Amino acid sequence: MPDSNFTNSLAGRDTPLEMLLSQVALGNRAAFEALYRGTSNRLFGICLRVLTDRAEAEETLQEVFTTVWRKASQFDAARSTAMTWLGALARNRSIDRLRALPARAALATLDLAQELEDPGASPVQQAEASTDRERLERCLRQLEARRRSLIRAAFFEGSTYEELAARIQAPIGSIKSWIRRGLLQLRACLEP
Amino acid sequence: MSTPPPGEEQWGTGEPPDDELLAAELVLGVLGAGPRGDAQRRREAESAFAQRVDAWERRLAPWLLDIEPVAVPDRVWTAIRAQLGWESRDGARSGLWRSLAFWRTASLLASLAAVAAILIGRVPAPGPQPPPVAVSPTGAEPGAKPVTTLAHDDGSPGWLASVDRTRGTVLMVPVPSAPDSQGRVPELWLIPPGQAPRSLGLVSIDKAHTVEVPADLRAALASGSVLAITLEPPAGVPHIAPTGPIIAKGSVRI
Repeated sequence: MPDSNFTNSLAGRDTPLEMLLSQVALGNRAAFEALYRGTSNRLFGICLRVLTDRAEAEETLQEVFTTVWRKASQFDAARSTAMTWLGALARNRSIDRLRALPARAALATLDLAQELEDPGASPVQQAEASTDRERLERCLRQLEARRRSLIRAAFFEGSTYEELAARIQAPIGSIKSWIRRGLLQLRACLEP
Repeated sequence: MSTPPPGEEQWGTGEPPDDELLAAELVLGVLGAGPRGDAQRRREAESAFAQRVDAWERRLAPWLLDIEPVAVPDRVWTAIRAQLGWESRDGARSGLWRSLAFWRTASLLASLAAVAAILIGRVPAPGPQPPPVAVSPTGAEPGAKPVTTLAHDDGSPGWLASVDRTRGTVLMVPVPSAPDSQGRVPELWLIPPGQAPRSLGLVSIDKAHTVEVPADLRAALASGSVLAITLEPPAGVPHIAPTGPIIAKGSVRI
């Protein structure tokens, strides 16, 4: 599975993925196929996590890669890593599609107490993880539990403020306030 | 700047700016369809806002690694090719070609992954992120270096060459191939416009490595020059002139 070769791409700015993307920007089909083979499973995981429906996720992934083919030149290695760029693109397109779908069935009630148990990463993932991830987790742990849970739920499920408010049965104003404060705290911790 | 909706907590003296929160909310994914669309259009149109969004994507990016990869059905690749209009050209090729192409691609991936360590070792670790306002790069950040594809006659890539003119080096990344049946080895040549080929030495058929360019040739590492690979007898490298067939070539991109 070539995917595993690329997880370290978060760690560097001049890795093979960047090289492949620069080739894709020039119209190199072999590089595009190599990029697809190397990243599609990971990006599909991201689409599926947000959309949960396989057919929707497949169509979104297709859209993601045709976008990559057309817009690879917009990738700026000075501002992002290739995996960050690709992952964000996949997540963005998935959330866009989610928003365009008929309102999804009510998500499970979010039990903040239960969410406190961070599912964590598998040992393999932890071995792959960059120090960036450790830093993010460390900073997240410094947040008040409910802010932390809300931010994680929002990120992984693409839940809107409205959905989160319904799920934890709290006023939307409070949800916004918790999340916003949590995000700013997170930023302050990541970039002191 | 909009005022917060009624009932919402105030942000003290007006800090942080609304844009910073909006960028964070866009990336986190908590905006409903309307506000999300508005924010995305601003990202397209305003570079200052786009930089805030980029910075938030970087901050939360490590979480993307938490998401397990899921095997993609083959039909997605087929659909992508069809959507890009590629099926007519390659669809007629044989199954052998397809499997060969797949094999080559897989090998290329393995080879590229091997060189990642080298590159990561050379590039300074990202380190602490810059303060959010100073998102612009340091200026020394080179970005992706241009890559020259040294293609075979049939157009398939044989090597990728990344030229670093400042250091006077060429990083050669092969698409792994079988050794020559006659025992010849691939030799890399730099051909300045209108001049004779000059040898840069042997290149590997299966491993990425860096080739040093002699000082007097560095000026020729410029657009317009050609990088070519011929098959040569192993003895006497670097040769004065090529004797074997050209198996791959490409024009230098700087």
